[in-house]
Amino acid sequence: MQPGKRTIGVPSDFPVQADNLVKSFGKARAVNGVSLAVPQGMIYGVLGPNGAGKTTTLRMLLGIIDPDSGTRSLLGCSHPRDASDRVGYLPEERGLYPNMTAQDAIAFMGALRGLDWKTGQARGAVMMEAAGLGHAITRKIKQMSKGMAQLVQLLGSLVHQPELIVLDEPFSGLDPINQQHLEALVRGERDRGATILFSTHVMSHAERLCDRLAIIAGGERRFEGTVAEARGTLALRAHYVPCARSDEARALLPADAVREGEAWLFTVPPEGPEGLVTRLISAGHGIAGLTIERPGLHEAFVRIVGEARAQGDAA
Amino acid sequence: MTRFFRQGAVIARRDFLAVVKTPTFLLFLLAPVFMLMFGWLGGSGASQVAEGASSLSRIAVIASDRDADGLRTADNRMRDYGDAPRLMVVPAGPDPMEQAKTLLETPGADYLAVMYGPLEEPVIQHEESSLKAAIWLQGVADQVLLSRRRGPPDTLSRPAFQPLKAQRAGVGMQRQTGYVAVVTVFMLTLLLAGQAVGMLAEEKSNKVIEILAAAVPLEAVFLGKLVGMFGVALLFVAFWSGLLSGIMLLVPGTGDELAALAPAIGLPAFLVLGALYFTMAYMLLGAVFLGIGGLAATVRDIQMLSFPVTILQMAMFGLATVAAGQPQTSMARFAEIFPLSSPYAMAARGAHDPSLTPHLLALAWQSLWVAIIIWIAARLFRHGVLRSGGGLFAMIGRKAR
Repeated sequence: MQPGKRTIGVPSDFPVQADNLVKSFGKARAVNGVSLAVPQGMIYGVLGPNGAGKTTTLRMLLGIIDPDSGTRSLLGCSHPRDASDRVGYLPEERGLYPNMTAQDAIAFMGALRGLDWKTGQARGAVMMEAAGLGHAITRKIKQMSKGMAQLVQLLGSLVHQPELIVLDEPFSGLDPINQQHLEALVRGERDRGATILFSTHVMSHAERLCDRLAIIAGGERRFEGTVAEARGTLALRAHYVPCARSDEARALLPADAVREGEAWLFTVPPEGPEGLVTRLISAGHGIAGLTIERPGLHEAFVRIVGEARAQGDAA
Repeated sequence: MTRFFRQGAVIARRDFLAVVKTPTFLLFLLAPVFMLMFGWLGGSGASQVAEGASSLSRIAVIASDRDADGLRTADNRMRDYGDAPRLMVVPAGPDPMEQAKTLLETPGADYLAVMYGPLEEPVIQHEESSLKAAIWLQGVADQVLLSRRRGPPDTLSRPAFQPLKAQRAGVGMQRQTGYVAVVTVFMLTLLLAGQAVGMLAEEKSNKVIEILAAAVPLEAVFLGKLVGMFGVALLFVAFWSGLLSGIMLLVPGTGDELAALAPAIGLPAFLVLGALYFTMAYMLLGAVFLGIGGLAATVRDIQMLSFPVTILQMAMFGLATVAAGQPQTSMARFAEIFPLSSPYAMAARGAHDPSLTPHLLALAWQSLWVAIIIWIAARLFRHGVLRSGGGLFAMIGRKAR
């Protein structure tokens, strides 16, 4: 990725690369130096709270808007539009021509990306059958429910069998059944060999789907790694129930221990739980129950975003 | 480049079908029928008013019985050469001046001029604006006196009138042909290109613009939309041209006026060039309207922004009309070169200049400007609507550096 030099379709293990992207709207800096490298054939999540700069980052990567500074590469092309025929995109703001039939809408989106109209129509019909929308192939978009139209749009972004699929908040507006269907569709595309980049602020989807993820907050990337690595940024949490209800065990527990009914909740010390367990038994408090678990992506996200906000407030 | 045009064609196809497949297109196609119908109604009403007004107008001579017949004969004879309000000969009373005053003040009768007194020294009273009517009465008096001096009036010459079709177009005819070309191209463009202003409104309202902008360069989106709407305009023109051609073929004499056009470049080439210049005029004006429509956030914005463009377009029409009337002047050259007036002025040029090369250059020049306007419109759209880039001027500054 050399700034200023146009590259077209240079093979890379990273279909999406961004280096230090910056974008401001007026005086507001929406994205402040975000760098990403999305590995080939993975499902990659861009996570962040509302207004974090996820959509702006994706739009810059796709070439819809240009960054103020920084470089980007999409499927080896320094100008993202050079690769647009190999990319599928579902924007956050869904939109289709209301008077088009579902089949034509899919074919139209494919045609924009270089797919022959007839092929697009044929594939669209097959995909709609597979998605359980076979009854609505010739139905106009304006006659469909919002969820159905959204699914049609997603199929339209996949009809040309892209190498890279970019989905901006794909689960919003879908009922749980369709969300599950979409998750299966995304996995299917990954299994086909496509790379999927999607943004969300719903952690459960990211936790189930993502091979790798980045967390963006305040326009900056705060974390990059696997789900396990994100969860690994938080210490283990213990849920301890002594044999006798007494406050005497408190003295042996870590400083952050808090009582919740019969149990004590606290962070497991960095050296591990073994020493603590030994001390509690020796002191006669016994162990009626002990659960040690790794916090979820949700907690990791909240902590990372919280730290980012605290930094922002301090600045 | 092939990919660019292919993407533009996808958008053009969608837009064309989206318009043509709707029932409102039929209304659009038949709009001239309503226009002609109301035009005819309005025109016939206006002509009735005008005819009524002219039939009420009179001129009068207060004369003795001796002069009355001679005056009527002279008036009839003069009407072979010209026209004037109906002549009334009123028998002279004791006070002709008072009679004249009464006639001029008669309610319901519109006497423009009244003559009385001896024919050698008549007094002619007339409305300030009716000097011609007064002079007509003078002519009538002259004719009576001349006939008395020379005997009964008669024509001296015995011409044989032989109507011939023009073998060679005169300068006046060529200029008239040029003017017809300017008016035709201008009217068609003004009627049809204005639709481009709302063409991006649909995409903006239903959020499709994001899909288009991600897949296709905005320049291709703009070009596709222009071509799509031009297809609609072409269908409109083809429909009406076909219909009128059919009428001309079936009803003898209806095509005489078209056949009378005598452009220097030849009628077939003139018609082809007219079609090409209509295309360029549509593309140029359509691109401007499209750019404005893309930037406008509301219908009110569209109306406010369209008004100056329409005024500009009227100015271009005026410029091109001058060029048609005064070919080979510096004003005509300017009109031929200035991009927005060029299609009209060059369409007129075909009427008086037989060379083809200037037209090829003009078409290339106008195509370049279509591309430039689309480019600017796309940049402004990207900056104003998609909020990307540093704006047109910042971008020009960057390129310059």
